[in-house]
Amino acid sequence: MKKLLVVLVFLSIGSIYAGGYRVALQGQRMLGMGHAGLSVFSNTETAFFNPAGLSFLDKNFSISFGVSGIMSNVKYQNAQYNQTAGTNDPMGTPFYLYASYRTSDQVTLGLAVYTPFGNSLEWDKDWAGSSIVNSISMKVFYIQPSMAYKFSKHFSVGASLIMAYGSVDYNKNINRYLTDESGNRTDATVNSGTVSAAGYSFSMAYKPSDKLSMGLNYRSSVVLDAKYGKAEFNDVPSFLAGKLKTAAISAKLPMPAELGVGLSFKPLKKMLVALDYNYTYWSIYQELKIEFKNGLPPSVSEKNFHNTSTFRIGAEYVVNDKINVRAGYYYDQSPSTEGYFSPETPSLNSNNYTFGIGYQMKKLAVDFSFLYVDGIERTDYTYVRGEGPSAYRFGGTYVSNAIIPGIGLTYSFDK
Amino acid sequence: MKKILLLILIVLVGINFTACKPEFASPISDGDYTSGNADFSKYVAVGNSLTAGYTNGTLYKSGQSNSFPSMLAERMQLAGGGAFTQPYLDDDTKDIGGMVLAGNPILTPKFIINASSGGPEPINDVPTMDVTNIHPGPYNNMGVPGAKVFHLAAAGYGNVANLALGAANPYYVRMASAPNTPVIQDAAGQNPTFFTLWIGNNDVLSFATSGGVGVNQTGNMDPSTYGPNDITDPTVFGAVYSQLLDAMTANGAKGVVATIPDVSSIPFFTTIPYAPIPMTDQNTVDALNAAYLQYNQGLQLALANGLITAAEASKRTITFALGANALVIEDEYLTDLSGLGLPSIRQTNADDLVPLTAKAIIGTPDPNNPQLINGVTKPLEDQWVLVKEEINMVRTAATAYNATITQLAAAKDLPVADMAATMQQMSQGLATEDGSIYTADYFNGDNLDNLVFGLDGVHPTPRGYAIIANKFIEIINKEYKSNLPLVVPATYPTFDILSSN
Repeated sequence: MKKLLVVLVFLSIGSIYAGGYRVALQGQRMLGMGHAGLSVFSNTETAFFNPAGLSFLDKNFSISFGVSGIMSNVKYQNAQYNQTAGTNDPMGTPFYLYASYRTSDQVTLGLAVYTPFGNSLEWDKDWAGSSIVNSISMKVFYIQPSMAYKFSKHFSVGASLIMAYGSVDYNKNINRYLTDESGNRTDATVNSGTVSAAGYSFSMAYKPSDKLSMGLNYRSSVVLDAKYGKAEFNDVPSFLAGKLKTAAISAKLPMPAELGVGLSFKPLKKMLVALDYNYTYWSIYQELKIEFKNGLPPSVSEKNFHNTSTFRIGAEYVVNDKINVRAGYYYDQSPSTEGYFSPETPSLNSNNYTFGIGYQMKKLAVDFSFLYVDGIERTDYTYVRGEGPSAYRFGGTYVSNAIIPGIGLTYSFDK
Repeated sequence: MKKILLLILIVLVGINFTACKPEFASPISDGDYTSGNADFSKYVAVGNSLTAGYTNGTLYKSGQSNSFPSMLAERMQLAGGGAFTQPYLDDDTKDIGGMVLAGNPILTPKFIINASSGGPEPINDVPTMDVTNIHPGPYNNMGVPGAKVFHLAAAGYGNVANLALGAANPYYVRMASAPNTPVIQDAAGQNPTFFTLWIGNNDVLSFATSGGVGVNQTGNMDPSTYGPNDITDPTVFGAVYSQLLDAMTANGAKGVVATIPDVSSIPFFTTIPYAPIPMTDQNTVDALNAAYLQYNQGLQLALANGLITAAEASKRTITFALGANALVIEDEYLTDLSGLGLPSIRQTNADDLVPLTAKAIIGTPDPNNPQLINGVTKPLEDQWVLVKEEINMVRTAATAYNATITQLAAAKDLPVADMAATMQQMSQGLATEDGSIYTADYFNGDNLDNLVFGLDGVHPTPRGYAIIANKFIEIINKEYKSNLPLVVPATYPTFDILSSN
């Protein structure tokens, strides 16, 4: 198990520039239908979406694994200063692993390992906003064991513990001008180390008939408190060599809580329609404060995130015994408040289009998904500190998109 | 089979989207920036050190590459601007400036901050540029450090033979197309379509920075008789300036001219307060007051005999107290009381300006008599203080020059960049468009990041030149309906900080 954890930590996670650093790719079947899975209880993916729904799975034992490939791009421009830049982000590969096991008519146990948050950006080196970010790589995964308890034929509840693990690597230039003697820009890399924290979730599933179901899920916030991080300084001019030395740092990175309610129904015999609403408590992210333990003043950047809503709709159509096709759409809000829009989390409001296809064999199901994230152009700015007593404004117009294909496997049986 | 077909479809859709990067509704493209009704294809900049990119006490390679005309030209190139050449500095291999003549240093290299001692000082190195390493121009950047208005029209200003006579300029010797061709001929001869002309600072500045040791030549119409630290006659200024403008606009070129700043707009004169001597010991104070008692009594005697006014007696009375004390200086404008055995000395007051160069000598022992302390028991000589009478001469001349510049520009329908106002702001503190705040608290040691003047106290740093470039861009855009983008001052360097020197 421990070995597996280590392997998981090194899988990278990309950001999709929607909804802060939330990466909503927690199941290829649900992703095919707009990632609207709060009330769809027919797949192991419910171990993430709504653990209470595990009670309604057909099979006693089920396991799912899936992985996505995130290919994303962000572009920046500012005509007033003739600045243009873009990111060349490494492909992110978030994954999930879900399992469920029904121990009795009432109790079903679940386990979910997934990557709910992440961020992976590589801006053009020394670009106009390099004093805010050159590159960032944030990797977070959750391990979430659950128990679902079925009160009646129609109603169940679920409760989960969450163990969160995460790390952040963040590089930026010290300011807009400092260089070493050879003209290389002086930069800092902050590494949080791998940090863990705990959280919880609870959920409810209600399935009054075969044609209708409803779900509710709440996942708590988790604050990853990096107490033993490290900052390294590169290309430091010699007169600052005594000051800008490798330093121990501490920082807190919050993962927001999320509340979701969902409804699904069958307007046609062969068709399922699902609607989800997610409310994400992003206001927990007010500032990113890096404290240095070598006497340097703390680096504070105000974030001032606000809570966001996501509206999801998806449908699945049964073509025949073996094949399902899916489509979905969701609108995702950016948590960035006007005047605090920073290129290190260039989160745009976005239209998201999803497609999927599932192929069911006897015990094994294969699901393909495809997500296109269409970030809506935004002109905004943030104030940056670190050059003497005053803060300066940095901003321009940002646009982004992402293409995310994914594949998932589900294996289920009744003993 | 069906499954495979669908799979292929998904993959194809995926590939299709992969090729599709995000795009702006209106992406910045080459065509976005236009020159309006100006033509930037041949831009020539004419002026002095401020145009050349002189900073931190000299002209060095990286300073030149960040001259304000170079920044302007780079922006103009987005809107039809052509190549922009600057005088050859490739032989400044150490990027330190300064100059030698036949192996002998004639100009000191750049100032740096020595972090081990804290203060600005010339870099401890030998210049590599030689006056005789001539690379004949003309160049687009015709800024010649040290040039006064009449120098631009003078023949022989680039002739090495005239150096010893003070009638040539080492910088221009290296860049003139021919030794006897005047600067303005090299500038106008390029048939510019656009120009900037910023000249006149040295016509008053060298008088001011020398502490007023030169002569106010107002009334003298022959500039060939002027010394290097003299004030140029405003009529001479106007006549030459008019000639320069005629030459630059002869082929219909458009451009911008700039006013010259007030003497109090440079940290060279605003850094050292008039009362820089701290006193913490009452015994010292008493001893000093005792030492000047006889002089002060002599003043009262002169007053009683009607030789000086009560105001002068009061101005000349020397007193020390605990706290900050004024400097004791020689003042040639005081009534001569040598008949009574009284020297023409007094203490500085708020009307005086103390040049930055005095920093090195204030409070140090007099080399001729180590018992005496400069500015305390040994009065500072004329060159170390710019007194009110001298300041007024400078102001009167500069005001006349600026009136002439404005008037001549109006006659040619040229916009005026009010650099007098811009440099006033730069010396007092300003916020740039992006909110960065630059302060005037020069050399306090803690705010090196927030200064826009270089270590010579007279010239902006490249960062300061970027502020100046933006001002020019603003005026060009407004007047000529162009839309050149601004530069970001903070991205430009200031001065070197070395851990030791």
